[in-house]
Amino acid sequence: MSTVEDRPTTDTTGSPRENGGRRWVGRSVLRKEDPKLLAGRAVYVGDVALPGMLHGAVLRSPHAHARIVSIDTSAAEAIPGVAAVLTGAQAAELVNPMPAFCAEPVPQTAIAIERVRYPGEAVAIVAATDRYVAEDACAAIKVEYEVLPAVVDPEAAMAPDATRIHETLDSNVAFHRTLDFGDVDADVARAHTVVRTRARWHRMGAQPMETAGAVASWNPFDQSMTVYSNSNFHNFLPWAFAGMLGVSTNRLRMIPCAVGGSFGSKHFITKVLAIAGALTKATGRPVQYLEDRVDNISANDNVGCDRIYDAELALTEDGEMISLTLRIIDDYGAYFQFAHGQHGNAMAQPTGPYRIGSLRYDVSCVLTNKVQQGFFRGAGADPGNFVLERLVDKASEELGIDRAEIRRRNFIAPEQFPFKTPPGNVYDSGDYAAVLDRALEIAGIDKWRAEQERLRAEGRYLGIGLATCQERTGYNASEWWFLYDNPPLPATSTPESVKLDVDAMGGVRVEIGCPLWGNSPETVVSQVVAEEFGIDPADVSVTYADSTTGAMSAGPGGSRLTIMLSGATRGASRTIRDKMIRIAAHAMEMDPDDVECVDGTFRAKGAPSTSMSMAEIGMRAHLFFHDTPEEESSGLVAVHTYDHPYSTPPSADRKDMGAFYPMVSHACHIPIVEVDPETGVVTLRAYYAVNDCGTLMNPTLVEGQIVGGIVQGIGAALMEEYRYGEDGSLDTPTFREYLMPSMHEVPEIVVEHLETPSPFTEYGVKGAGEGGRLVAPTAIASAVDDALKPLGVWVDELPMTPERVVGMVAGAREGRP
Amino acid sequence: MKPAAFAYLAPRDLDEALDQLAEHGADARVLAGGQSLVRLMNARLASPAVVVDINRVPGLDSLAVTNGSGPATLRLGATVRQRTSELSPDVAAHAPLLVEAGAHVAHAPVRSRGTVVGSVAFADPSAELPTALLALDGRVVVRSRAGERTIEADDFFTGAFTNALDAGEMVVAIEVPGSPPGTGSAFVEVARRHGDLPVCGVAAVVTRSDDGRVSSARIALCGADERPVRARAAEDALTGSDGGADAVAEAAARAADGLSPRGDCHGSPDFRRHLARILTGRAVSTAVHRAAGEA
Repeated sequence: MSTVEDRPTTDTTGSPRENGGRRWVGRSVLRKEDPKLLAGRAVYVGDVALPGMLHGAVLRSPHAHARIVSIDTSAAEAIPGVAAVLTGAQAAELVNPMPAFCAEPVPQTAIAIERVRYPGEAVAIVAATDRYVAEDACAAIKVEYEVLPAVVDPEAAMAPDATRIHETLDSNVAFHRTLDFGDVDADVARAHTVVRTRARWHRMGAQPMETAGAVASWNPFDQSMTVYSNSNFHNFLPWAFAGMLGVSTNRLRMIPCAVGGSFGSKHFITKVLAIAGALTKATGRPVQYLEDRVDNISANDNVGCDRIYDAELALTEDGEMISLTLRIIDDYGAYFQFAHGQHGNAMAQPTGPYRIGSLRYDVSCVLTNKVQQGFFRGAGADPGNFVLERLVDKASEELGIDRAEIRRRNFIAPEQFPFKTPPGNVYDSGDYAAVLDRALEIAGIDKWRAEQERLRAEGRYLGIGLATCQERTGYNASEWWFLYDNPPLPATSTPESVKLDVDAMGGVRVEIGCPLWGNSPETVVSQVVAEEFGIDPADVSVTYADSTTGAMSAGPGGSRLTIMLSGATRGASRTIRDKMIRIAAHAMEMDPDDVECVDGTFRAKGAPSTSMSMAEIGMRAHLFFHDTPEEESSGLVAVHTYDHPYSTPPSADRKDMGAFYPMVSHACHIPIVEVDPETGVVTLRAYYAVNDCGTLMNPTLVEGQIVGGIVQGIGAALMEEYRYGEDGSLDTPTFREYLMPSMHEVPEIVVEHLETPSPFTEYGVKGAGEGGRLVAPTAIASAVDDALKPLGVWVDELPMTPERVVGMVAGAREGRP
Repeated sequence: MKPAAFAYLAPRDLDEALDQLAEHGADARVLAGGQSLVRLMNARLASPAVVVDINRVPGLDSLAVTNGSGPATLRLGATVRQRTSELSPDVAAHAPLLVEAGAHVAHAPVRSRGTVVGSVAFADPSAELPTALLALDGRVVVRSRAGERTIEADDFFTGAFTNALDAGEMVVAIEVPGSPPGTGSAFVEVARRHGDLPVCGVAAVVTRSDDGRVSSARIALCGADERPVRARAAEDALTGSDGGADAVAEAAARAADGLSPRGDCHGSPDFRRHLARILTGRAVSTAVHRAAGEA
């Protein structure tokens, strides 16, 4: 069976394109990961079963803010099958506080000590023979709380006299900074029009199908620990985990499991690792702790941005965008583990695809009694795109310039790349007008305008959305701390490594440092190896490295993995291919320059019958050293580390944040909605997206990323939201309250690709992991706006729940802004 | 998300089930389709000491229209699946409102396990089927070792997730009386997603006499109060009217009179009152048209 679809790639992508003479890169090779996933044979944390393994459960705070007066665990300990019950203080004797990226003193332990700061914070943990007994024990723990005032509203939290979340800080504003890039005041002074919006982007969460979890096994005899988990950072920050777990770095072995979805939420997952680690140390037995849904929604690093924007876009009379001001209050919840990383991230593309000359970015990171922010697909750039595109639509309205036209006038032109943005990040390439034009074409705008007119005559409200957005890809982890004047860490190149070997029979194996996080690293690596050696991707074996192999990997995140893996794999492939050419040339008594690798065969250029197979060279390289060139050592193994292809450190004065996210994809989305203004119900009728993520590594995989991201974007636009009561209680603790789209809420999504290769990466690939969700929310807001334009509605808050839509209609009727 | 320990009983006939319910009283819960109870138990929102699984009790799965001495009556037994009811020609002919409302309940796989009677007994104030039963003037047939009694739907729902059952009693069936000629019904709702419990839903059953006047109107709402409720003021506005646009508008305007909705993250009390008015207008308008034999 062939692993390649029979149809040509042009059918798959819907648009004709050149493949640059490549054979495997760019083809919709079937996903190598699928069979084991579809057959239920991938090994997740929940599948790990070690001899004598216990199961953990967590008792969580029902209060948003309270002092823990006392904890009585005696009844829980008396339940047969319970092996350990630990309070926060007891756990602190076994494991250390959780590592954090912030420079501010915001200490955090996996189990609260003395005080709980958000609803769902862990108060005690249990290990028992099974999860049922462990939960029985949790129910038997008696905790006496002294309830404290809950800080829920982020603006109220900023008041000097507000109840303090952390006594170690002077204020609940954990971080504030204003950064000016260019002469904002002068640009605003010369503007003809300044459009403003006060926009609200509520907190939403990644909600992976599989929750975070770990199996930890402590060996007291050699003081070592083995940990199975769905963390992404076992080969990025294993030393940080070792420090937290109280294990020396060279005695911690972290084994990656298949991951049932993450969407950014499982990078660090220090809570589950600390909980499993403390329980295995307490019991001397392996312990599995896998969050259930309530654990994950209430307490994991699942939550994305929670922002209030006061935003202004300054324009000239003819619609030239000249300056952007963003004043942001971001509700970070109770802890600051990932610092202001989502604002570092947003700094990659605040001015979008437009030639906006200056930027003021004023951010306040505020602490409240809510679960802390983590990372979620979009990672800070998602609300940025929402607000910028809303401002552009508003400018189009106020200046009377068609919304496609005002975008065209301001797009960075193809000949202006590489383009340095005001904050310093560089965009590699693009053709934004071509994407817009094609999107308008495939959507059949004229047909929909006619339909809109027809329905309006019936009293129905159809809307056509439009958004043109950036997707910065290939992240550099420096963004997590580079807004600080004196960063706790220097800039990083965020490397990715692979180990490739060709065995004595010519078989190719690649060991990768990242986990299987639900994306397709095996497929991508196999395609690249296949491209470089001319072999079939199905013949390439891909395995996952644990933390003891020396692999370096930051894994998937920030839409980086295909960029980084293709770079690392191509580098390793070329090292080994070149060595094999030298060995073959030696054997065939030729100059290496006269030998080429074609279809997995090393042959004389111009005389293909003089050749050696990979197996012949492999055997010679492994066993018959004396028949190889003198300067070669035996074996065919290469480790190749691919550092970030283009990053420059920020300037000391932070007037230039440097290039850190320079592979920039672009998309135009056109959703069609129908809105019932009486009930507030928004229904998606159709959806069109044109995407340019450079060279497509695998069109089917990219389409999957885009469609999945759009579906999450529909959730962001219409339903997803963490809501808290006035007392700080979480009103959305399960999927009955926290809603995500089902197949019934998703229309047919038409996706097309254009390809503007990146000059910075191997093959010209860019990332594509977040684009769907980075564009869809603002595109759908634009569509609802368009639908309700006769009623004067302006959308500046997501999600657009039925109640909010009815409220917006009523507000417009009453003349509220 | 694991239930507390409980005893599981699987009676083989109704007498055995009633004996077990009598023995365990309030400590026992009846398990039929399990689509609500099991979720509550997993979340430890319900921790019954005993679960009585009635799925093996013969006879409870009967679905029949009886034509005794009085008017025809539809009777649905306690283990009749929602999907069975939804696909039954008898139900479609006798009480199309049950089919229309039932189609909004979750998704087909859930309905293939969940029972109509279970939904009624569970008495979720947002659920469609109790509301439809109320609009249909239905009855709830309950049994205990002491015998059988019949409770009018309006008396059965006593509050949010509470009903008029005494300890030791179980619902064995619901009954829906037939409708006179010239009757039309409709169910409309606003749910956040397809298959979710509605934020608000309205069931309307309207009968028109030969002169076109509305001779009877029953309007029931879900998601609008502590229990499924009749919108009496709206019914009064409609009854005796010509069923025209003005009458429908008047009924809609009065649909929220006296309601005390409970707010949650899907809708505040005010929004639910707003929807009650909007959806009553739509449901009544459709029911009136259907009563006149229009589509």
